[in-house]
Amino acid sequence: MKQPTVIEDLEVTPVAKPGSPSVAPHHKPRRLSASSILLSPAAKAVTGLALMLAIWESIVRIFDMPRYLLVGPLEAFAELAERPMFYLEHSWITIQEALAGFALGAALGIICGAILFYIPFIRHFLYPTLIAIDTIPKVALAPLFIVWFGFGFESKAFVSMAIAFFPLVINTFDGLSSVPSELRELAKINKASRFMQMTKIEFIYALPNLFTGMKISISMAVGGAVVGEFIAGSSGLGHVVLLANSQVNLASMFAAFMVLASISLLLFLFIDRLGKKLLPWRDAGK
Amino acid sequence: MSSSAVIEVKDVGMTYKTRDGRSHTALEGCNFDVAPGEFVSVVGQSGSGKSTLLRIISGLINNTSGEVLLKGKNVAHSLRELAMVFQAPVLLPWRNNLDNVLLPMEFRKAVTPQVRAYAKELLEIAGLGDQATKYSYELSGGMQQRVAICRALVSRPDILLMDEPFGALDAMTRDTMNFELQRIWHETRQSVLFVTHSIPEAIWLADRVIVVGDRPGRIVADIKIDIPRLRTREHRFSEDFTAYERQIEALIGTPGAIS
Repeated sequence: MKQPTVIEDLEVTPVAKPGSPSVAPHHKPRRLSASSILLSPAAKAVTGLALMLAIWESIVRIFDMPRYLLVGPLEAFAELAERPMFYLEHSWITIQEALAGFALGAALGIICGAILFYIPFIRHFLYPTLIAIDTIPKVALAPLFIVWFGFGFESKAFVSMAIAFFPLVINTFDGLSSVPSELRELAKINKASRFMQMTKIEFIYALPNLFTGMKISISMAVGGAVVGEFIAGSSGLGHVVLLANSQVNLASMFAAFMVLASISLLLFLFIDRLGKKLLPWRDAGK
Repeated sequence: MSSSAVIEVKDVGMTYKTRDGRSHTALEGCNFDVAPGEFVSVVGQSGSGKSTLLRIISGLINNTSGEVLLKGKNVAHSLRELAMVFQAPVLLPWRNNLDNVLLPMEFRKAVTPQVRAYAKELLEIAGLGDQATKYSYELSGGMQQRVAICRALVSRPDILLMDEPFGALDAMTRDTMNFELQRIWHETRQSVLFVTHSIPEAIWLADRVIVVGDRPGRIVADIKIDIPRLRTREHRFSEDFTAYERQIEALIGTPGAIS
């Protein structure tokens, strides 16, 4: 009962020492600086972005860059405003390819990660091989997928899948491995079936890692779709970039970059928010 | 005594094969039993094999010699009704405290309204009656460990095994937890086997202290603690207590130990 008073004493003594007049009151105002009161994190991010675009625009204007080398963001926005449907249509194609590739890659990655974790025999034989395969740049697989799946939607979705796959394998495996041994022992002592141990403890425990893997995979999946479109395609944002390249239309090229970045960012944020919504215990619990 | 004992440890030994092919004896010829409702501490230096002993009794690892009898019968590990409290509470962060307490019964597919009521009662006994719907991250370390104790008790085990359950807590919380555990034990009259490396903790909590010696791990003494219940802070500094402390310290051989 008396312990709290003792602690209080200890904390009070250094403050009361001469030479350091009231340290505590100084701390609080510093924490509530003007920027943290006025701006939400999102507002800060937007401000940062606006600043970058302003610097970019100024560089283009100050140095009077030739239009075949660099255009400013305003010109890229003007290009977007001029042909919104064109960019929307191609975006939709890229999004579909990326989402199909991501869904397939993530599903396979999670299954593979779980198999590698639960079946040591397969892990010992296949994990090194899988890591070796992962070192092959997935971009280099694109021509192969075109041979296999043709010039259509499928080959791009498969390039996207190949890229989205690996982060999920690793993160699923790591997530399942991170389950504390005491929890497995608890399950064993209480005669839990293997299935119960998986569904009540291990899979849920691994979910934060799965979301980490998905956040990495989703933006990579968009990149995969674009690479597929580079190599074979007559549609999608990758195709738009190549088309702009052949026409030396840098405004269109930068417009495509902006759309791509926005798509990746939105998909990333969606998964991030979904994770926060579904796993409110994640940050506090682990 | 032996036929009424909850757990009998008979000549239990544990020998590992080390990587270079030699054999290492972690435990040798351990004999003791625990009576119903008895609180038995196991104390020894780290690495003395006391945790190994607990894990053998729990069935998590197999002994290489001797046997462990449950209520006089040699049953398979999987049939022993045991519960374990670990050094870390390891609660599931996505479950509230009541659901964490119920987890062992879910594993057994035995959650009934009665079990639910008992789980709530246990939280009540542990002083966490108003925390049932809270999550573990909203609790202090000591409170989390109390939830873990409730989780262990919910299956009404024949014996509760505790593996240095308060080892990760700070000294003040640890004292509080010792009082709490004594109170919970007093109300549930649960047989407990409590492993610790703190001699005062072992004495203060237990009816009997089993002293485990080093290299190889073996039981060097089985000391009955004759201090009346419920014990208070005063008992901690009584003459009897200090005498037990000295005796055990000499047995373990910790020269110059302060606490």
